[in-house]
Amino acid sequence: MLLFLFGAESRAAEPRRVLMLHAFNYAFPSTTLIADGARRRLLERSPQPLEIDADFLDLARNTDAEYQSRIAMFLRAKYEKRPPDMVITLGSLALPFILRYRDDIAPKAPVVFTSVSPQNYSALRLPADVTGIISEFDLDKTLALAERLQPEASRLFVIAGSGEVDRRWQSAARKTIEDRKRKFEVTYLFERSYANLVEEVSKLPRDSIVLLLTVFADSEGNAFVPAHVAGSLSAVSSAPLYAPYDTYIGNGIVGGFVETFESVGVRAADMALQILAGKDPATIAPQTNPGQAYRVDHRAMVRWKLQASKLPTDTAVLFKEPTIWTEYRGPVNAAILIVALQSLIVGALLVQRQRRLRAENLLKESEERMTFAAAAANIGLWQFDRHRNELWATEHSRAMFGIARDAPLTRDAFLSAVHPDDLQTATQSLRRSLATEQPAIGDVRIVLPGEEVRWVRMRARSRSESGGRLDHLGGIFIDITEQKSAEAEVALQRLEVEHLMRVSVLGELSGSIAHEINQPLTAILSNAQAALHLLAQESPDVVEIRDALEEIVHEDNRAGEVIHRLRGLLKKGERKAEYVNINDLVRSTVSLLNSELIGRDINVRLDLESGESLARGDSVQLQQVLLNLVMNAMDAMASTPMAQRFILISTREAQTGMVDVLVKDRGHGIRPKENGHVFEPFYTTKDHGLGLGLTLCSTIIQAHQGRLTLVNDEGGGAIAVFSLPIQQPAIGNA
Amino acid sequence: MTEKFTVYLVDDDPGVLKALSRLLRAKGHDVKPYSSPQVFLEEHDVAVPGCVVLDVSMPGLDGLEIQRVLTAASGYHRPVVFVTGKGDIPTSVRAMKAGAIDFLTKPVKDKDLFEAVSRAEARDAESRRLHSELESMQAKVSNLTPREREVLTHVVAGRLNKQIAGDLGTVEKTIKVHRSRMMEKLGIRMVADLVRMAEKLNLSK
Repeated sequence: MLLFLFGAESRAAEPRRVLMLHAFNYAFPSTTLIADGARRRLLERSPQPLEIDADFLDLARNTDAEYQSRIAMFLRAKYEKRPPDMVITLGSLALPFILRYRDDIAPKAPVVFTSVSPQNYSALRLPADVTGIISEFDLDKTLALAERLQPEASRLFVIAGSGEVDRRWQSAARKTIEDRKRKFEVTYLFERSYANLVEEVSKLPRDSIVLLLTVFADSEGNAFVPAHVAGSLSAVSSAPLYAPYDTYIGNGIVGGFVETFESVGVRAADMALQILAGKDPATIAPQTNPGQAYRVDHRAMVRWKLQASKLPTDTAVLFKEPTIWTEYRGPVNAAILIVALQSLIVGALLVQRQRRLRAENLLKESEERMTFAAAAANIGLWQFDRHRNELWATEHSRAMFGIARDAPLTRDAFLSAVHPDDLQTATQSLRRSLATEQPAIGDVRIVLPGEEVRWVRMRARSRSESGGRLDHLGGIFIDITEQKSAEAEVALQRLEVEHLMRVSVLGELSGSIAHEINQPLTAILSNAQAALHLLAQESPDVVEIRDALEEIVHEDNRAGEVIHRLRGLLKKGERKAEYVNINDLVRSTVSLLNSELIGRDINVRLDLESGESLARGDSVQLQQVLLNLVMNAMDAMASTPMAQRFILISTREAQTGMVDVLVKDRGHGIRPKENGHVFEPFYTTKDHGLGLGLTLCSTIIQAHQGRLTLVNDEGGGAIAVFSLPIQQPAIGNA
Repeated sequence: MTEKFTVYLVDDDPGVLKALSRLLRAKGHDVKPYSSPQVFLEEHDVAVPGCVVLDVSMPGLDGLEIQRVLTAASGYHRPVVFVTGKGDIPTSVRAMKAGAIDFLTKPVKDKDLFEAVSRAEARDAESRRLHSELESMQAKVSNLTPREREVLTHVVAGRLNKQIAGDLGTVEKTIKVHRSRMMEKLGIRMVADLVRMAEKLNLSK
């Protein structure tokens, strides 16, 4: 019991040895296929470890008896130490060999045979521990297949070689064909040389049937692999070939009723496994043709234009895509799915790539467009990372700042182009935009290499990259040189117009102004002449002469003042900012108009605020406004009865911080149709007016942060009022 | 007639007023300066010999206006010399037609002013003399009896004594007596003088 257990243990631990004994060499497809099928099955199903050996007896090429004993000696020596537990023979010739030499090579090892024809099996009288697969090659059914596919064929060619197996086929074939009902014109191509076979086959009539058996050797003693011969003959044949061998299918023949060698291998392996598991081989009966079936090569069918509809219903059609489809539906589906998925992914990637490319192109185009548009608009774009001190700017910015093509674009490169006087403006506006998220604007001058100066407006806006500190500045540079010069031009033109208006007003007043100068001149002349007369007297009155001279000085000053005032009004110049005493302004304006007022029989009354208010601005321009308003008042009273002609000019501090100047007349007032138009440029009610007086006055007052209004007085006439902010000079500055 | 010739000076410009006064005084004239036309008109005395030097353009009343007011008030042509800053032709024509001595443009040359003033003085003296002559004659005429005034009228009309007697319903001799008494009272010996006097006094009617 213990011993048995031990023995069982030791047997289980040691691998069982199986010897695959090939009748031919490794090049024979039929035996190789059987061996492969058997080996796979054994390894797959065996519950215990197996050691599988293989030996090739090569009996087709070596036919002498001595060779067999030599190989047996070799094998005995080879397996003396490790005798096989089981022998599987492959090829019919391997079975007689092992039966003869079994005691030497594998004593007592059961034998499972394959590829043994029924004739051989019955002739061998096998021992009980030998079983296996009997292969009956059904020539009759193969021939039937040929007949079905080629019903018109009348000639039959049968090919077999000159080897041992070949000769066995020769007799079998003759018998089968003679037994058949249908009679063909039969040509037996037996015992021919290989070259002769090739030649014969290549010139067969198209409607013949060729039955290929085996060619292990030709009439000249050359050994062949029958499956290879099938391939060669198929290639040159002018008629379809049929054969009872599975291995020929795929080598060019149409097909036949065949045993699949793999299935033979599998069956043999199953038998071997049962025996290895302990079953008595005597109880296992040999099996015949476990996997026989009609099999055809689709490609050959197509080559010979044979109709698939004529095939028996259970025919396996090989080498046809649908067949693969049918056989491998799952994997094919999976493969297709994978391929489809991959295609989809590839497609998606392509589409994505396409999109990305397009997006990149669009982005590039967009950027190009933007850059182009920006350059066309004379705008430079820039960004600055303060943290990294990195600056990006468009090429146009470089041109705007006159930075050389090869010079690096840095913050300092830009700042060094800025006019020294504007450097502070530039840095301040950048700092301001960093302090807040509000955009900052700074206008600076850029000095280009050719000393040309251009104005550039910098717009900057900061943002934080990650919600933290404001480190990123971005913005634009705009060339505003034209704008600046246009502004200057406009300012200049406005000054010009103001000046022209003053000149035209003074032109209107020229007579009166001449009178204003004539008066002191008259006084001067008379005083001088009086002095001369006094001197001519015997005892000149010195006191009187001095009085006269003093008067001359005084009157001369008076004339000088008029001229000074006149010159101020006639002068073209920039707007000045000075302290202007509003009451003085009224007085000097009225004195300038004195003669005119007298000439027009107009009474003027001044009602001036006691506290001499000061406003800041240009006295000439303010006088121009007042002059204009008084002139308008005078013009408005042209048709007023003389006795009623009256102008009241008053100054007052009606509201804190503002001084009002009122000019009130007793003229026709503002007529309803004029209402709302009086400040419009070129609107005039006068015959010779330009219509710019009030427009200009309003502009000037607005430039002084003031306001000019014109209303009708309830008691008749109009009141013009302008208000100016009072500016008290700092102490010691007055 | 004993009062000295006075130059009334009216100009609203104090500087000019002072200077012209000084010039005229240096020449020896008595000058009364006025800067306001209204005050001048109030204080002006026709009886005082003199002339007016007037500025044409002044606030309130201009020179031409003053000239008109002066004449209308006294019936006496006070000589006026105009001075003006803007000597426009229409104004000067109007002034001259109204009897102005001269129309001077500022600045006034002393020679022109003096010449104008002396002409005004002469004119004033002349008109003043005429004026006193007429006054004395008027006084003599007023001493005549109504009969003598009647005879005067007829004699001036060129009637003979006989015709006058017929007209008045009396005799020639009576008319002769009235006539000689009338001539005696008036201090006139020749009829021609009588006629001239009657013309001056507008007695022909």
